[in-house]
Amino acid sequence: MGLPTSALARIADYSVAILAVVAVTAFGLIFRVQFGLASIALLYLLPVLLTATRGGIGTSLATAGGAALAYNFFMLPPRFTLRVFGYDNIVSLIVLFAVAIVTSRLASGLKAREGAAVERARAGVQAAALASALTAQATLADADRTGLAFLADHFGTVILIALADADRGRPQFSSLDLAALAWSAHNGDATGHASAVMAAADWSFVPMARGAEGDVLALARPEDGSSRHPAEIERLQTLAALFGQARDRLKLDAERQARQRLEELDALRGTLLASLAHDFRTPLTLLRSGIEAWRATPPGEESIAGVLGQVHRIEHMLADLIGLARIEGGAVDVAREPVDLIDIVAAALDDSDTGDSARQILTDVAIDLPLVDADPVLLRHMLVNLLDNAAHYGGPHIRVSARSAGDVILLSVGDDGPGIARGEESAIFDRFVRFAVGDRVGGTGLGLAIVQGFAKAMGADVTAANRANGPGAEFTIALPIAVAAGERG
Amino acid sequence: MSRILIVDDEPAILKLVAAVLARAGYEPIAAGDVRAALTAIDAGAIDAAILDLGLADRDGLELVAAIRLRSTMPILILSARDATDEKIAALDLGADDYVTKPFDSDELLARLRSALRRAGLQVAQDGVLRHGPIAVDRARHHVTLGDVSVSLTRREFSVLAMLVEAGGRILTHQHILRGVWGAAHDNDIEYLRVVIRALRLKLEHDPARPSLIRNEPGIGYRLTHGNG
Repeated sequence: MGLPTSALARIADYSVAILAVVAVTAFGLIFRVQFGLASIALLYLLPVLLTATRGGIGTSLATAGGAALAYNFFMLPPRFTLRVFGYDNIVSLIVLFAVAIVTSRLASGLKAREGAAVERARAGVQAAALASALTAQATLADADRTGLAFLADHFGTVILIALADADRGRPQFSSLDLAALAWSAHNGDATGHASAVMAAADWSFVPMARGAEGDVLALARPEDGSSRHPAEIERLQTLAALFGQARDRLKLDAERQARQRLEELDALRGTLLASLAHDFRTPLTLLRSGIEAWRATPPGEESIAGVLGQVHRIEHMLADLIGLARIEGGAVDVAREPVDLIDIVAAALDDSDTGDSARQILTDVAIDLPLVDADPVLLRHMLVNLLDNAAHYGGPHIRVSARSAGDVILLSVGDDGPGIARGEESAIFDRFVRFAVGDRVGGTGLGLAIVQGFAKAMGADVTAANRANGPGAEFTIALPIAVAAGERG
Repeated sequence: MSRILIVDDEPAILKLVAAVLARAGYEPIAAGDVRAALTAIDAGAIDAAILDLGLADRDGLELVAAIRLRSTMPILILSARDATDEKIAALDLGADDYVTKPFDSDELLARLRSALRRAGLQVAQDGVLRHGPIAVDRARHHVTLGDVSVSLTRREFSVLAMLVEAGGRILTHQHILRGVWGAAHDNDIEYLRVVIRALRLKLEHDPARPSLIRNEPGIGYRLTHGNG
């Protein structure tokens, strides 16, 4: 079994002291005549100084005692006795002791200051490391994870306890721990083990905002049951304050971003209202004048078709608005099931505006494609919007196709219109984005935003690109393949 | 002249549907709430009912169940576009079909006509169910498409027989699954999808563009009079 390092150091100190005293004595015995007693007496100060500067008042006093004894025994007449003649010998003994005490005091003071400086430097290095780790984090959750991992590396088990939870019981805390926790959270003092407040607790609690009410870090006692040094708690407190500041900054950032999002949403609502007023007014005006004309002349087939067309337009706008409201309100219920794209394509073609025109729609969906995992109702709505979009902006041909690509099925709607301007591929999904192609545009500009919103709700990806071969845009929904659950029997 | 009950708590819709029915030669009977509807049905001689599900005094679904307790008359549901669950519930309670609001009067009349036709249909003397060119002989477990005999697996036969028996009425996925696979499998939609694919391959003119067996996404399957 090995001795602890501090015991080893003490043994080393004593060995040095004994060796030094022996050396001075040997020197004195040899050169006693040449140097004289006074010089030899001074030489005995050396071992005392030596041990005293190594710190430890005990060793230096022992050395002083040993030196005095050796001097008395070997040097002072009558030699080889411990009898002391004269006051000058008593004085030299006192001087040796005094030197031992003063020097060791000075040395251990210096040593303590040096220790504190080292501790401060270490705390500084740790604080800098923590600060730089925390500044790299963009979210509160990331910062918490990083900060706690850092502290766990240096201190052991550390728990972050929110102020709101400070008064709630936890299985790992005794009632004294809980009292210390509550005190720390409400008063901003370090409490518990190795602190000045409720030191009998098992855990140490360090406030994240010193002197103020706030969140608290709880530090478990070392697993081997040993005690922590108060300096360690002091160091943790510095780090906790730093951690707390970083968290405050991130919380403020998050709040500011949320406010900004709300403002943007408000601005968007304003645009939406203005745009809606215009969008609804046009078909309503046409509807009204169309119907009013029936007073004078009985409605002809063409006039009825015109009026019904406007009604249809309003219906579509309404469906878009309801879709948007559901996306915005987070009220999109997603009911995923294995879906056959053949069914969805057939149903969407029934629903879309594309059927009644001279447009040619080509479908290319193989009968043996795997089933996809999707919400069939949302997917149909998305496909209808993509088909309507192609009808509004594309040319005379629309192509609906599906193909397998790894673990997804890509469902695409391509047109042969002017395509998408470079760099607009993702902006095209923004609300109200409409492209100037004259009166043919009939929607609210929400159709593609709804496609994207539903895709997001369903966990699918939707992308826009220009077709690889030939002009025109192509919109693609990537749908996960449904996990096959083969039927038995 | 068929007497058609219309139940809707919106007077304007009630009046509109009554006018559409009258013009098409039906005798409309309007009811503004569940009580009036049940009184009219108990008075008898109603041939079909058109219900709005969002009624003021009681849920329209309860009315579907109440009518089914009294009669086998065709029931048509008027329902909002996104109310998938509501449609499924109504169909499972015994409604025959639904029309999505806002609706087309032509579509409403077409659905009503086919519902009435189905109700008047008797199973043929020989026990063979027919739908367009398809004939299903349950007793002999035999299916023909036109003159050609079609060989089907047990599951395929059962699904097709259910669809043909429904005569164009939409059957919910769960209803078919329960009927063919049993109650334990009413969520295993992929079983049904696979069987429908097989049936399309054997019966449809173009299986990738089905015109005979059609799906209502999220709701169920029905047979249509396609060219398949």
